[in-house]
Amino acid sequence: MKISFTINGTQQTVEVVDGNTPLLWVVRDVLDLKGTKFGCGKAACGACTLHVDGEAVRSCSYAVKFAEGKTITTIEGLGTKENPHPVQQAWIDEVVPQCGYCQPGFMMATAALLDKNPNPTDEDIDNNIINVCRCGTYYRMRKAIHKAAELHALQEDSEIQNS
Amino acid sequence: MKSKRSLIFIFLLAVGLLLANSIEPDTSNYKVLTNDLPNEMTSEQAFHKMMDVLTHERCVNCHPKDNIPKQGDDSHPHYFGMQRGDGNLGYEATKCTTCHQTENNPYSGVPGAPEWSLAPSQMFWEGLSRFQIAASMMDPERNGGRTPEETLHHLTEHALVLWAWTPGVDAEGNPRELPPVPLDEYRAAVEKWFEEGHIIPTE
Amino acid sequence: MAEKKKISRRKFLVRGGLGTAGVLAVGAYVFRNPIRRGILEMANTMEMAYMGETKNPMVWFEILKDNTVLLHSPKVEMGQGSFTSFAQMAADELEIPMAMLKVVHAATSTGNIDGMSTGGSTSVPGLWQPLRELAATMREMIRTEAATKLGVTTDAIAMGGGVVSANDKSMTYAEVAEGVTEWPDIETPVLKPVSEYKFVGKPIPRIDLEDKVYGAPLFGMDAEMEDMVYGAVVRPEKIGAKFLNADTQQAESMPGVIKVVKEDDFVGVVAATYQQAENAKNAIIVTWEAPNNLQQEDLEKIMTVGNGKTTIIQKEGGALDDDDSEIMEFRSPIGAHAQIEPNGVLASVEGDMATVKISTQVVGITRKEVAERLGFEEEKVNVIPTYLGGGFGRRLHTPHAVQAAVLSKAVGKPVKYFFSRKEEFQHDMFRPPTHHVMKGKLNTSGSLEGLEHHFVSGDVGNNSALVPSFAPTILGADVGAIRGGFIQYTGVPNYRSVYWHVQLPFATSWWRSLGLLANTFAIESFIDHMAHKADKNAAEFRLENIANDPLSVRLKATISAAVEKANYTETIVNGRAMGLAASIDAATPCAQVAEVSIENNQIKVHKVTVALDPGLAVNPDQVKAQCEGCVIMGISASLHEEMYVENGELRPIIYGPYDMALMKHSPKEIDVVLLQGKDTPGAVGEPPLGPIGAAVANAIFRLTGQRLTKLPLKLS
Repeated sequence: MKISFTINGTQQTVEVVDGNTPLLWVVRDVLDLKGTKFGCGKAACGACTLHVDGEAVRSCSYAVKFAEGKTITTIEGLGTKENPHPVQQAWIDEVVPQCGYCQPGFMMATAALLDKNPNPTDEDIDNNIINVCRCGTYYRMRKAIHKAAELHALQEDSEIQNS
Repeated sequence: MKSKRSLIFIFLLAVGLLLANSIEPDTSNYKVLTNDLPNEMTSEQAFHKMMDVLTHERCVNCHPKDNIPKQGDDSHPHYFGMQRGDGNLGYEATKCTTCHQTENNPYSGVPGAPEWSLAPSQMFWEGLSRFQIAASMMDPERNGGRTPEETLHHLTEHALVLWAWTPGVDAEGNPRELPPVPLDEYRAAVEKWFEEGHIIPTE
Repeated sequence: MAEKKKISRRKFLVRGGLGTAGVLAVGAYVFRNPIRRGILEMANTMEMAYMGETKNPMVWFEILKDNTVLLHSPKVEMGQGSFTSFAQMAADELEIPMAMLKVVHAATSTGNIDGMSTGGSTSVPGLWQPLRELAATMREMIRTEAATKLGVTTDAIAMGGGVVSANDKSMTYAEVAEGVTEWPDIETPVLKPVSEYKFVGKPIPRIDLEDKVYGAPLFGMDAEMEDMVYGAVVRPEKIGAKFLNADTQQAESMPGVIKVVKEDDFVGVVAATYQQAENAKNAIIVTWEAPNNLQQEDLEKIMTVGNGKTTIIQKEGGALDDDDSEIMEFRSPIGAHAQIEPNGVLASVEGDMATVKISTQVVGITRKEVAERLGFEEEKVNVIPTYLGGGFGRRLHTPHAVQAAVLSKAVGKPVKYFFSRKEEFQHDMFRPPTHHVMKGKLNTSGSLEGLEHHFVSGDVGNNSALVPSFAPTILGADVGAIRGGFIQYTGVPNYRSVYWHVQLPFATSWWRSLGLLANTFAIESFIDHMAHKADKNAAEFRLENIANDPLSVRLKATISAAVEKANYTETIVNGRAMGLAASIDAATPCAQVAEVSIENNQIKVHKVTVALDPGLAVNPDQVKAQCEGCVIMGISASLHEEMYVENGELRPIIYGPYDMALMKHSPKEIDVVLLQGKDTPGAVGEPPLGPIGAAVANAIFRLTGQRLTKLPLKLS
């Protein structure tokens, strides 16, 4: 079957034999966007988190057929070195990653959180950010999430002033 | 004469189940049933048959008393600390639908159905007896202001409720346990009980 | 005139003249018990040296046309940050800015790999001397060559910023290297004093930071080759199950299947996509010979002090009499590595050559095993290591590389193969469960008169490709299991540590910090108990009983520093209590104070203060990151994680049921104090994992009077 969607701003049509194939494998193996990670395949670790129509989704448990007509964002589309997303900038400022494997999933979950809640409390972070990190970078991540919220607010202020 | 007829019925049912089994392995969880033909059921029998389903974990797991969804055949608290959140849909960014879609996912074993969510907190069933659950479900204060007709509709037509009979496989690929009564019998029992005036028997 | 040495292409070769060393190298000379004990003590405290070969003219550095200097690292980067430290060390001696230096993994065909492993917290300490010497030598080779090109003496050459200059002329390093086919072979120069370094000792951001934040394809899982297909191998659920035969009929005709491959010891399948390979794998019916139906109770029975082979690893004075000693028992469970990137590999066999891209901690061993299975010379197998999505010891064992190579050979295409999460959990090389009996006795003045640690573990180092098979016979004890198992209170007149080794029916092996986590939990919980019995402050009681050799003095300094920084008190304040614990691992002392409360009958760790003495911290920020990571991984292992055996299977098989610390369980404050008790870098990646379990348990004792003796810690 053919499935069309927009991913990181680009319109894509993919042909799959099995519409239940997890979106993760289409993103990684067909579209060659390797930033979205396979960790468990059971929607338990969160390494495969990306955005579908602005909502955080664990793509190992999301059948590609549901992506028809949707807008998808992966870590590669969140921001760039030239124009980082506040979450990525905060991750750099706080030097968060260690092995780095789980980090895209955490950044995508955090970006979704800030989108809904621009100034999350520690409790909001604890409730919403429930991915698994084995290196134990949670301590720096928490600092980076608060920092990202500040950067996000600054960015919005400057956008208001510029408009 | 009557006992002979019911024997034949059991035989037919058994054959039917065997046939069904060869097509749909999920039905193997059903036990061969006794002579409770729907049209011969009393209201009380219908009540108990309905409540055999409604007290099963496929239903109660999503009617918790403590804002924590339950999971699995052992009704453990949902892993990773997921809770009811706003509007019974999870937390603001990490929601039920972050993982649960409108269908079961055969690869991850994550269950899914339309409107995947918790029942509102006033509709909690966890820890209640079957009589208390029935009282709660018929009480407009606790059933979301539903009329009996609307409750009947929810119980027999709502896709999320009917998911209980197609619950898919778990994370290891093993089929989830089905409610103890097949869907058509359950529906017939619910309809019968409502037809007879939805009287909750005394304990 | 320096001797000229022929080299190939534009590769910049540097020769080092450095020997190799290591604890097991001396093992062969030791047979008598008292000396053996000395070796085992040394194994516990010595710093491991770099085990790679620096004599062969393999590529360490390459200069690219854009003046980038590539360092081919013999060690792999698994999050510990050693690439950044290497870059700092090399850039300082090379006189180049950090941005000019890139670190890549050495592949076996081009670079100098560590024949042993990346592990044991040895990367930075082990390469501290050789890498700087190599970099300094290269700098002087460039100076000499530049002098020739600019027609001046070497004294006239100034170097800085990746540029050489003399008089008014200057050249980049790349311009100096351009066209050179023979380089002078010069003497290793004297290294700069640490005080002159611009990068070493500074909190430089990780060099892999941006790649990791923008989602670059760094990992083994991300590797690709043209025409690549996917493999899967059937693995048993039961412990010790042996492959007998397989019915593959259904799998062979499934969509996408290219070939079902039956070998004597495994059956696998190759298909066009990952999901097709998995589907076909699940349709293969394998007959296994399952020798046992082990249950958790059986395991705990086996794993009890008094079972197995025993070795006294430390002994001073007499043994305690059980009748007038305090005795307390402790247990730790099976631990899974649970790293987020599953084990995986991409292998391509073409003719008599094999290429293997893989997340591995044992590059050389991976190559050897693949070569052996294929019947190739090792030189015909090129292992290209990638960044690791977590190591923690899980990737010291790579049989999947062999299987992927066999599958690739069978289909004539590159094959990518990785474990499912269930396979990852059931076929882990686990941290073995342990049992400990602590004994202690106070004298009339409340000081320790005797202290003993008796403990039992399964394999850690034994039966690993990293430890020679003769080592257990010679050394008696498992060099990994005993880590942290020594009594550090050597000021006590009578002390001993007695190790028991049990062979388990499932594989156990290296898990970050090895025996340290469980051993420190037992010893440091018990010391706290004895301090309480003696009615003394737990910090002062510890300090009283530690001796005055240099390492012990450093241990005391970390305890004092942690106590001071945390404002350690044994009074409960606002419902929170503090617990203290300390340990030495690989000659790095660490003390921690945990601030804990109980909320909704759950243990809540609010703050952890860490004092670590790693010697010279090449990158203090990354040393702190390792402390934070160890504290959180240690909280996860000590308060949450537990594998168990049920009906002959290891369970659970997924995150969630395998309960791990999440964001909400992480302390909101982790305060790290770094001490520098010596002027060279020491071990960092594992030592801070030691104290946390006991520190939390000791705080719980203050709060509740309950002495929790079993990991994971659960309130009754």
